[in-house]
Amino acid sequence: MKVIVSRSGGMAGIRLTWEVRVEEQPDPAIWADFLDSLPWDDVTDSVATVDRFAYRIRCAPHEVVLAEPEVNGPWRDLVNRVKAANGM
Amino acid sequence: MDTPQIQSPLIPRYCTIVPPYLLTRLAQLADPKFARAAAAARDSLLRDSRIRRLRDGAHPLAHPGARSLPTRTPGESDRTISDAGGLERLPGRQVRTEGQPAGTDPAVTESYDSLGATQAMYWNQFGRDSIDNGGMPMDATVHYGQKYDNAFWDGERMVFGDGDGQVFNRFTISPSVIGHELTHGVTQFTANLKYQGQSGALNESISDVFGALVEQNLRGQSTSAASWLIGEGLFTEQVEGIALRSMKAPGTAYNDDVLGKDPQPDSMAGYVETDDDNGGVHLNSGIPNRAFYLVAEAIGGNAWKTPGRIWYETLTGTALRPQSDFAAFAAATADTAARLYGNGSTAHDAVLRAWATVGVVAAVPSPSPSTIGTPSAPGISLPPAYSTPLVDPLTPPPSGPQRGPIAGQPGG
Repeated sequence: MKVIVSRSGGMAGIRLTWEVRVEEQPDPAIWADFLDSLPWDDVTDSVATVDRFAYRIRCAPHEVVLAEPEVNGPWRDLVNRVKAANGM
Repeated sequence: MDTPQIQSPLIPRYCTIVPPYLLTRLAQLADPKFARAAAAARDSLLRDSRIRRLRDGAHPLAHPGARSLPTRTPGESDRTISDAGGLERLPGRQVRTEGQPAGTDPAVTESYDSLGATQAMYWNQFGRDSIDNGGMPMDATVHYGQKYDNAFWDGERMVFGDGDGQVFNRFTISPSVIGHELTHGVTQFTANLKYQGQSGALNESISDVFGALVEQNLRGQSTSAASWLIGEGLFTEQVEGIALRSMKAPGTAYNDDVLGKDPQPDSMAGYVETDDDNGGVHLNSGIPNRAFYLVAEAIGGNAWKTPGRIWYETLTGTALRPQSDFAAFAAATADTAARLYGNGSTAHDAVLRAWATVGVVAAVPSPSPSTIGTPSAPGISLPPAYSTPLVDPLTPPPSGPQRGPIAGQPGG
């Protein structure tokens, strides 16, 4: 299972992508439970905000796009975990 | 813009219809024989400022608690810098207000100074009094978030991150970035271009254009001397790149192992279709960015003069709609150039050629050798394909809600 977080926009307009293969993590079961717990189906269309980031998060079969102000709670946690797994 | 020709020191009371940029020049005249003219212009500016505030009902001051200095003279800066202290809470702790001396924090000093440079450029060159043209205070917050790689305009204030130190330095380091962000506010109060697809790319491009002009104006640079870079100095030394974007040569600002290659197209042939970045607003902005540079290159001199005036009058005029696309913007700038400088003028010709070069409008015929590099003389006839404004000046714009505080006022 793969989690891909792609951040686009921002004033710089530079797209950065971070990727995690869950089975390669030291705690894959915790990752899987965490991913299952995310509110994938509750995400509504984002409102474009000038120069803020937009996050596209993919974990098949799920895919959501979140405006930066909506990256809170578990989504914030996910983004931070994926970035941390990539040494960020 | 050249200094206006003063025909008489007697300025009648009709100066309320005089464009603000002319009033500004008049108000600054020091020659005693123009004392009455200067006084009348100052009165008019003060009166217009009040009128504009009333007219701005559709765009009330963004903060309910917004202040205005009771004795403030139009054009004066009213800056407040706050420090978020690494949190993502706004506005943060107030650390510097208008007139206070600089401290030791470079982010505070840089943001304060560049807010002032932006206010000065808009006021001195275009007669625009702050973001809303009604003297709106300029507020900014620095040290937002932890290693935050961004700067943005949130509809009320400018917000700056410190960067991660690996890829990005602090975002206050570049005057063009600060001019860019404040111009998002100006666009919000005027054309209000929708932040999606081509209208979003225009929104971005306009911020880059005036961000670059703020920096050039601050440094006194001509078109040929300027870098035409947006965000120069923002990358750390670890990045293979010189800036975020190049208006002169979109797609060449960086080429780095981590960031990849600058993806901006420089013409419609490379237009990027994408769902990311609100339809590629930071990518396709390279196309109108280069168009502006080409206009400036063709005209020469200081880009905030004729080229900047054409773009400013277009942004604040009546031709644009929130969903205007590149073609509509090209037509509007050509119309503005023809209206201000004459049909077939050097400026009008430069605008048409620029948009043709970047592929937004059909190619225009090559000029005869005698016209290359020479100003168009009054009455000169250009080939029919580009001697007619792209927009019929007799056709009124579609009806729509009042947008900006100065809609329809040339020079506003």
